[in-house]
Amino acid sequence: MRHDALLAYVLLVPTIYILFRIFIVPIFQSSVWSLYKYNLMDGSDPKPVGFGNYADIFKLQDFWTSMGNTVYFTVFSVAAELAIGFFAALLLNHAFKGRLLFRGMIMIPWAMLTLVSGLLWNWIYQPGYGALTVVLHNLHLLPDASNPLWLSSSTKVVTFSAIADIWKMTPFMTLLLLAGLQNIPHSLYEAAVIDGAGFWKKLRHITVPQLLPTAIVAVILRIIGAYRVYDILTVFTGDAKTSTSYLTYNYAFRYFYLGKASAMAWVSTLLILILVIVYMIVLKRNQDSHL
Amino acid sequence: MSNKHSWPKWATPVLLSAAMLSACGVTPLAKSDASPAGSASSSAQAGTAQAEMDWSKLGDGSQKGKKITVLMVDTDGRVSQMVKKFTEETGIEVNFMGVDYNSLFGKITTASLSNSSDIDVIEMDTIWGGQFYEGKIATDLTNVLPKETLANYTQSSVDSVIYNSHVLAIPYYSSSKHLYWNKKLLADAGYDAPPKTWDEFREMSKKLTKNGVYGSAWSWKQAESLNIDFDTIVAAFGGKLLDDQGKLHVNSPEAVQALTYMTDLLHTDKTVDPSSLQWTEDDVKNAFSAGKIAMMINWEGMYPDLNNPDMSQVVNQSDVGLIPGQGSAKSTAVSGSEGIGIMQSSKNKQAALEFVKWIGEKEFQLDNFKEMGIYPSLKSLYEDPDMIAADSTKTLGKIVEQFQYGSNRPNAPGYVEWADIQSNEIYNALVKNKTPQQALDDAAAKIDQAIQRAAK
Repeated sequence: MRHDALLAYVLLVPTIYILFRIFIVPIFQSSVWSLYKYNLMDGSDPKPVGFGNYADIFKLQDFWTSMGNTVYFTVFSVAAELAIGFFAALLLNHAFKGRLLFRGMIMIPWAMLTLVSGLLWNWIYQPGYGALTVVLHNLHLLPDASNPLWLSSSTKVVTFSAIADIWKMTPFMTLLLLAGLQNIPHSLYEAAVIDGAGFWKKLRHITVPQLLPTAIVAVILRIIGAYRVYDILTVFTGDAKTSTSYLTYNYAFRYFYLGKASAMAWVSTLLILILVIVYMIVLKRNQDSHL
Repeated sequence: MSNKHSWPKWATPVLLSAAMLSACGVTPLAKSDASPAGSASSSAQAGTAQAEMDWSKLGDGSQKGKKITVLMVDTDGRVSQMVKKFTEETGIEVNFMGVDYNSLFGKITTASLSNSSDIDVIEMDTIWGGQFYEGKIATDLTNVLPKETLANYTQSSVDSVIYNSHVLAIPYYSSSKHLYWNKKLLADAGYDAPPKTWDEFREMSKKLTKNGVYGSAWSWKQAESLNIDFDTIVAAFGGKLLDDQGKLHVNSPEAVQALTYMTDLLHTDKTVDPSSLQWTEDDVKNAFSAGKIAMMINWEGMYPDLNNPDMSQVVNQSDVGLIPGQGSAKSTAVSGSEGIGIMQSSKNKQAALEFVKWIGEKEFQLDNFKEMGIYPSLKSLYEDPDMIAADSTKTLGKIVEQFQYGSNRPNAPGYVEWADIQSNEIYNALVKNKTPQQALDDAAAKIDQAIQRAAK
C-alpha cells in the first residue's frame, strides 16, 4: 500500500508544480514586485523601495476615483441583480407552459463573452440611431428633438455598463436563487397558508429567511465578479478611472509601472477582502440572532 | 493501526519542495541580467546584434531557407498575401502573424517580457519609440540602415521611426489626416472651395449646419484620436507640442485657444454633431458616407469606399485636400506613420533585415497602395508613372501635399501616460466639466506628478 501511495504522490508533484507556478507564485511574485520600483520601459533598474509604492497609491487621486466608480458599479449592479433575479426565480419556480424554454433562454446573455456584450451595447447606446434612443423616442418617453449622449461622461459610462452587466449576470443570480428556492420544503408554505398568510407574508417570513444562505453566497460571488469589471469598460471609453481593474491594467501593461501596479492590485484586493469578511460576519450574526 | 488516509511523513516535504521550486526567481531582474545569454551587458549585446546585421550583405542568398516570424496589422488577410512575394524572391520562409492594431502592443510587449525569440519582425507605431528603445524591445538600427537609404523616405515618415537620434525601424507608410468635404453640400450653401483657415472653417460650418445636416463631425471619443485632432489645431495656432526641455507642453496660450475653439464649435456654434463625443474615425466616415455631415478630418483609406455605390450615398460628391491652417501656417497635420523593426530577442536578425529592406522597396510599397490605398514612405514613388496610373481617384497630389505639413508626436517612454492624461482633460473640457484653461492646467499638473511618480 505504501508503494501505491508513493507513486500517487510522485505523479502529483508535476501537477502541483504547474498549479503553484500558474496560480500561487504570481500572487506571491506580485507582492514582492510591489516592494520594488520596477518600471520596465524607461531603462531604469529595479530597486527596493519598501512600502513606498503603497504610500504613492494611497496618495493617488485617480486611484480613489476609480475605487469610487468601482464601488458604485458593484453596489448598483449587485443590488439590481438581486432584486430582479429574486423575482425571476420566484416566477420560474411555478410550473407553467413553456417554463423550460424560458429557463434555457435566460442563459443566453450569461453565455455571451463580456466583450461581445460590450460591443452589442455600444451599438445600443449610440446617439441618434442606437436602439435605446430609437425605442425611447417611439415610446414617447423622450421628446423627439432630444438626442442624449448616453456615454459622454465617466459616471454615465459606469451607470450604463452596470445596466449591460445586469442584463448579462441576472441569469446567474436567478439560477442560484432558483436552486435555493427549490430546496425550501413545501410543508412550511402549507403551514403558513393554514395560519392565514398571504403572498407578501409568506415571502417575508418563509422565503426570504430560508433563502438567505443561498443569497449570501450568490451576492458574495457577484460582488467579487462585479468588482473586477474591466473589459466592458474598454469598449465604452479610454478613461481608466472608471474602474480599479482598468487603472491597474493600464499601469501594468500600458505604462509598465509594474511595481506600482502590483501595489495597486494588492491594495484593492485587500480592501475587497476586508469588505467581504465584514459582510459575512455581520450576516452570520444576523442569522444567528434570528434562530 | 495504520489509517488508510493518514498523511505519510515524507509527503509534506515533497509537496513543499515542489512548491518552493516553483517559487524560484520571483524578484524582478534588470533587463540585462535576464537576457538569454545570461552574461552579456547591454552594450556588448548591442555590439553582437549589429555584427549580426550587415546591410551590404543583403541579397547575397545566405539567408535562404531561414524562417522568420513577422507580426503586423492585417485585419483582412491582404497583407499576408502580399508578403508571400518576399518568400518567392528570397527563399526566406515567413510565419505571418496578422492582428488588429489594438492587439499589436500587447503581443510585442508580452514576447519581450518573456524574453521569447518567437517574433523577429514587428510593426511599430511612432508613439512607442521611447518605450521600445529604453525597454530594450526593438533593435537599434542607427548603424545598420545606411544614411543614403534613409534619405529615400519622406522626412515625416523618417522622423516617426527615430527616438532620441536612434533609428528603430524602416518607415512602413506615410499617413496623416486630411480634410474631406462634400462638394454638393458646400455648393448648396454657396461655397465653391473648402476652408483654408480655421476661421473660415468656423464660418462655413455655421452656414452648412441646417436641415439635419451638420457642418462637421469628429472622432472625439476619449482616445488617442482626440489628442491628434487637438495637436493639429494647436500647431495651426502656432503652439509648440514640446517645450525647450523636451517635455510635453499642454497649457500654452495657443493650446488653450485651440481647446476653446473646439468647445465653441461644439457648444456655442453647435455646428459639430454632438455624437462626436462617442465616435471613432469609422463612425465619422459612416456619417460622411450617409451625407449627414459636410466636412470631416480623417485618415487615408476613405476612397474607394466613398465612391462605392454599395457603401456610400455621396458617390463622386466628395473631395480631399489640405487641413486648414491659421495665421502663418498654411496647414498642419499630425503624422500617423508606422515603421517595421526587428525585435532585440530575435535569433534571425540578418534574415529579418532582408524583410525590413524589402518592405521599404518599390514593389511592396506600390502593392500596398494598389491593394489597400496605403500611401508609401518612399519619396520616389510619388513621381512614379506606375503609381500615378494606379491612383484611380486622382487625389495623389493632394494627399501628398499634406505630408509636407506633418509633424510628429513626442515618443519619450512616458508619452503614452501623458497622452492619456491629456486626452482625459481635453474630454473634460469638451463635455463642459471644466473650462479649457482649467482642464489644460490640470493636465499639466498631472503630467508633472506622473513624471515625478515614475522617477521615484
